[in-house]
Amino acid sequence: MTSSALLPLMILVPFVGAGIVALLPARRTELFRPIALLTSIVVLGMAVFMLVNFKVGDPGYQFESNTTWIKDLGISLHFGVDGISLFLVVLAAGIFPIALLGSNPDHDPKPYYGWLLVLLAGSIGVFCALDLVVFFVFFEIVLVPMYFLIGLWGHGRRVYAATKFFLYTMFGSALMLVGLIALAVLHQKAVGGPLTFDLVTLAREQALSTTASRWIFVAFAVAFAVKVPLFPLHTWLPDAHTEAPTAGSVLLAAVMLKLGTYGFVRFGLDLFPEASVWAAPVMLTLGVVGIVYGAICATMQKDLKRLVAYSSVAHLGFIVLGIFSITTQGIEGGILQMVNHGITTGALFLLVGMVYERRHTREISALSGLQSSAPVMAGVFTLVMLSSIGLPGLNGFVGEFLALLGAFKGARWWGVVAVTGVILAALYLLWAYQRVFHGKAEGENAKMRDLTWSEGAVLAPLLFLIVFLGIYPKVMLDRIEPSVKALVVHIDRNVEGFDAKDVTPKIAPAAKGAEHGGEG
Amino acid sequence: MRVEMFTFLLAGAICLGGALGVVLLKNPVHNALSLVATLFGVAVLFVNQGAYFLAAIQVIVYAGAIVILFLFVIMLLGVDRETDEGREPLVAQRPLAVATGLAILGLSLVALLSAGQRATGDKADLAPLNQPGPDINHLAEVLFTRYVYAFEITAVLLTVAVVGAVVLSKRTNEPLIDLDEFPEGTVVDVRRRADDAKAQDEVDADAEVVAVPDTEGDPQEGGDD
Amino acid sequence: MTAAVLQNVLASVGGLPSIEFSSVAPSIILALGGVLLLTVVSVTKDKLPVWFPAVWTISAAVAALCTVFRLWIRVGKWGNLSLISGAVGLDRFSLFVIGTLCVSVVMGALLLEGYLRREDLEGPEWYVLLLLAAAGGTTMAAANDLIVLFIGLEILSIAVYILSAMHRRRMSSLESGLKYFIHGAFASAFLLYGIAMVYGATGSTNLARISTFLADNVITQNGLMLGGIALMLVGFAFKVAAVPFHQWAPDVYQGAPTPVSAFMAAAVKTAAFAGMIRVFVLALGPTYRDEWRPMVLALAVLSLLVGSVMALVQTNVKRMLAYSSIGHAGFILVAVHSSTAMGTSAALFYLLSYTFMVMGSFGVVAVVGRKGDGHHQLSDYRGLGRIRPGLALAFTIFLLAQAGVPLTAGFLSKFYVIRSAIDSGDTALGVVAMLAAVIAAFLYLRVIVAMYFEGEPGDEVAPVKVPAAVSVAIGIALAGTLLLGIVPDPVTHAANEATAELVAPRR
Repeated sequence: MTSSALLPLMILVPFVGAGIVALLPARRTELFRPIALLTSIVVLGMAVFMLVNFKVGDPGYQFESNTTWIKDLGISLHFGVDGISLFLVVLAAGIFPIALLGSNPDHDPKPYYGWLLVLLAGSIGVFCALDLVVFFVFFEIVLVPMYFLIGLWGHGRRVYAATKFFLYTMFGSALMLVGLIALAVLHQKAVGGPLTFDLVTLAREQALSTTASRWIFVAFAVAFAVKVPLFPLHTWLPDAHTEAPTAGSVLLAAVMLKLGTYGFVRFGLDLFPEASVWAAPVMLTLGVVGIVYGAICATMQKDLKRLVAYSSVAHLGFIVLGIFSITTQGIEGGILQMVNHGITTGALFLLVGMVYERRHTREISALSGLQSSAPVMAGVFTLVMLSSIGLPGLNGFVGEFLALLGAFKGARWWGVVAVTGVILAALYLLWAYQRVFHGKAEGENAKMRDLTWSEGAVLAPLLFLIVFLGIYPKVMLDRIEPSVKALVVHIDRNVEGFDAKDVTPKIAPAAKGAEHGGEG
Repeated sequence: MRVEMFTFLLAGAICLGGALGVVLLKNPVHNALSLVATLFGVAVLFVNQGAYFLAAIQVIVYAGAIVILFLFVIMLLGVDRETDEGREPLVAQRPLAVATGLAILGLSLVALLSAGQRATGDKADLAPLNQPGPDINHLAEVLFTRYVYAFEITAVLLTVAVVGAVVLSKRTNEPLIDLDEFPEGTVVDVRRRADDAKAQDEVDADAEVVAVPDTEGDPQEGGDD
Repeated sequence: MTAAVLQNVLASVGGLPSIEFSSVAPSIILALGGVLLLTVVSVTKDKLPVWFPAVWTISAAVAALCTVFRLWIRVGKWGNLSLISGAVGLDRFSLFVIGTLCVSVVMGALLLEGYLRREDLEGPEWYVLLLLAAAGGTTMAAANDLIVLFIGLEILSIAVYILSAMHRRRMSSLESGLKYFIHGAFASAFLLYGIAMVYGATGSTNLARISTFLADNVITQNGLMLGGIALMLVGFAFKVAAVPFHQWAPDVYQGAPTPVSAFMAAAVKTAAFAGMIRVFVLALGPTYRDEWRPMVLALAVLSLLVGSVMALVQTNVKRMLAYSSIGHAGFILVAVHSSTAMGTSAALFYLLSYTFMVMGSFGVVAVVGRKGDGHHQLSDYRGLGRIRPGLALAFTIFLLAQAGVPLTAGFLSKFYVIRSAIDSGDTALGVVAMLAAVIAAFLYLRVIVAMYFEGEPGDEVAPVKVPAAVSVAIGIALAGTLLLGIVPDPVTHAANEATAELVAPRR
């Protein structure tokens, strides 16, 4: 079947591309960019094919493929997508060509494109792996290319940022590794049979004792919290984002930050429903702290890129808030927000990168009046910024709104505090815009080039999505909803005393098939 | 019984006295002679146990051959006078060694004493040795039956030892090229060494940035820490 | 007359033991290879080509490896055996270890070939000692008797003491040899004392007999037994360089000729752990595990933490690898501590993976050391990523593998160990091990930083020559590291099957 080979192919193709890049001699510098671009477009094509053929209304996994990898350890290459992961895979596949087109390495193109392709393979793999170990493999493997991207092509304190990024994530995933092995071993001891790391089986059978699953949830949660990043573990993010090259920042924002929140949905809620409900207050608090803290920090930044980085902390707080409200709307909002944040923040980083290319500085104080010298860029920046603030009619609004709506149902008081984040977002972004684009342009600022056609072409798809998904989010919601609903039902069924606040959503028309869907 | 006990105590005293002499005396020749006393004491202990063959071997091989070789070497090298090791580089080393030694002695004593009179309820594997008849026969039997494999592979051990002895005692006429000590190879230029010292200071100041060009050598590190 | 006496003697001991030479074929091939090489070279003097000893050594190791495969099949047919009056245990555990040792001989010989030519030290003695050391290791791995185990250990150790001191033009090599010899002699003495005590307590040196004796009898006053266990553990801990018996390792690893350090890290560790598992997990596991497990636990935790933390402050790459190897010993001790069949296979898989990773790492270190084997500072790696991208990439993979990044052997071996720890209920130990791995990751990143991120173009260190033999060795190590991480199925399967068993001798 072609459909079952699709996901493995999507992972394999970039690896092959990376292999080709590695084998070509380093002096053929003109070849690497086209090869990388071609590979990523092939992957994007497959992602679009998947999107078109995705059966709306089916809450289970589609395009599944399952091959044994390590028989003695019960690890199998199990891939599949459902509504929760579908758009993240598409986002990952879509953002790569844009990131490739949007920026150039200033030296060593061969390893640059090689590592980017490895990163692409890892990003696709991590979102469609349905085996815990395979997920972990991709979760860790994306570290290596990102480490080199920051370390070799970054700015300023790149080595420090890269090392910090690597070690933080490694620390989290070390605990997760112990957790996932413990999960599989305890599961085997409870139900007998061979060792298995299969997500579907483990989630369905729920064989662990409450205490054990809570401990293991904590181990997973630390790993995901580092990746998200949640409040006390977030300090790697501003450094990594700021020092990374433009493509690295875009990919960090669009793909890597989603690993944590995606992990919470897929491996937190699904595997440990009881523990998730148990830990929800803590997670909600951390999410809200992230929203407010991120916003305050962003306000105080002097570096434009760092400001955007802190705004990510705030946005991801909304996602966590939505997810741990444990309502259909909240989780849907969280997933929408993951995709939208990828699009919006990706675009913001591209724009900041373009400003940096022209002016060689990101200091807000050094920039002013760019509006007059680069009016088109200012316009584009306005649109993207408004989406990031969450203006109704743009994509940022939908996810944030749904997440808050879910929070008001499932976790009212946290929702109340979180709303202040929306106001703060307007404050820091508008203030930054005012300082950078308004005012009088002098010296270098007055001579700055406007957006070129090719740069505009790179940004155009993102701008289109910002507007389109803001007006018509139904295309996404239709596909996300059945899976989310099944997830909430799964939690409802497995947690005593938990009352799913809304199994019938009110915002978007639900696909009818969802009512009799199992949890996959 | 009393004779046995008396012999045991006497031989034990000889052993321990010799061992102390090996450690405490300063003249290498005296050390070697003390070793003879210890080995002789052990031989007496063997006799006490009825292992006459072992006792003879002990005297002939260890006391007779090996220690004599030691003495030859000591006298050939001309180190047969008192040596002074001078101050010890690590101050705490000696008390620490004494403490560790006492701890091990304590462990052994506790182990032996708490084992009581009889260690096991079982007869040892070497029970055949206690049978009547010349013990040399019994020893040979055990060596060529139960321990034949161990006996044979000892040959490999001896080969290794011989190869090692030959290899290590070969003289080399070539100069030392120890880069840990002399980064530039054999040429040790005084001015260069001074530069190195300066470079070393810089390195100490900022361990992260080691930017000393290769030709000027690298900071010497390790080996003696 | 003599015949009659012989008859008489034989009757009294129940006949001569039958010696199944085929069962110890790997050891025989390696030992004979060494001795023959010595003979051939001394007879033909200088008529042989320079590459001859290396090729000879590799052929011997490969031949030994072939016999391992044959014996593996034989054991599958006939089951585990105890041979040569119970001195040799023929089981898949020992065969797996012997195979690992053969692999490290192949890579060690390749590394030596390039190294000796660069240092003008060519000679057959290096290879002779390498082969004999390996023969000692294989003897240890298959030992079913404490005396045989001890002699095997001595053959291995003495050969490696000499190898460490053999770069006679480097003072630090001599120092390393001497240090290793003195520490090693102490370790051997401890081990032997322990063996004597256990013999006193159980009446046998045969592991199977000890095991049976302990199962059938309760020793009421077991001070002798406990003392013996503790002393033997100290002896083994010295050999595997577990904290607090590790002080020799950094100095010795740093001073020894780099290919010898590689062999030390891979083969000596492998053989010593094999011996440790045979004695502690097999012979003493069923009866005395409650007594020795806490001690091993302490060794494991200390090795993990001290190894990783101390490695961070080093600036000499060989010293760093020495400390990191202490950390790895801690990981394997975690597997030993679980004292189960699963722990044994975890240790085996770890040892094979570590052989590839550490041999590859030291291979790179050997070539970067340049003539004189002295350029081992972190600064000597500056810009290696630009001047030798292939070498730097290989080193990066070895280092990331040691850090436990997935799709490498290092990840799966850690996975295995953690699994065995959790399976025997020591989740906390698993957490400690993984945290130590994260600390150690920082150290590997420091080397990567030096290779790729430091210095400006044009600021590189002097060019590095990579001899053909060394690149073959690094290639083998790379292939092993990646294959064990990507398609590990055959090896995991073999490791799972390679559970050891103590079979009582027939008489």
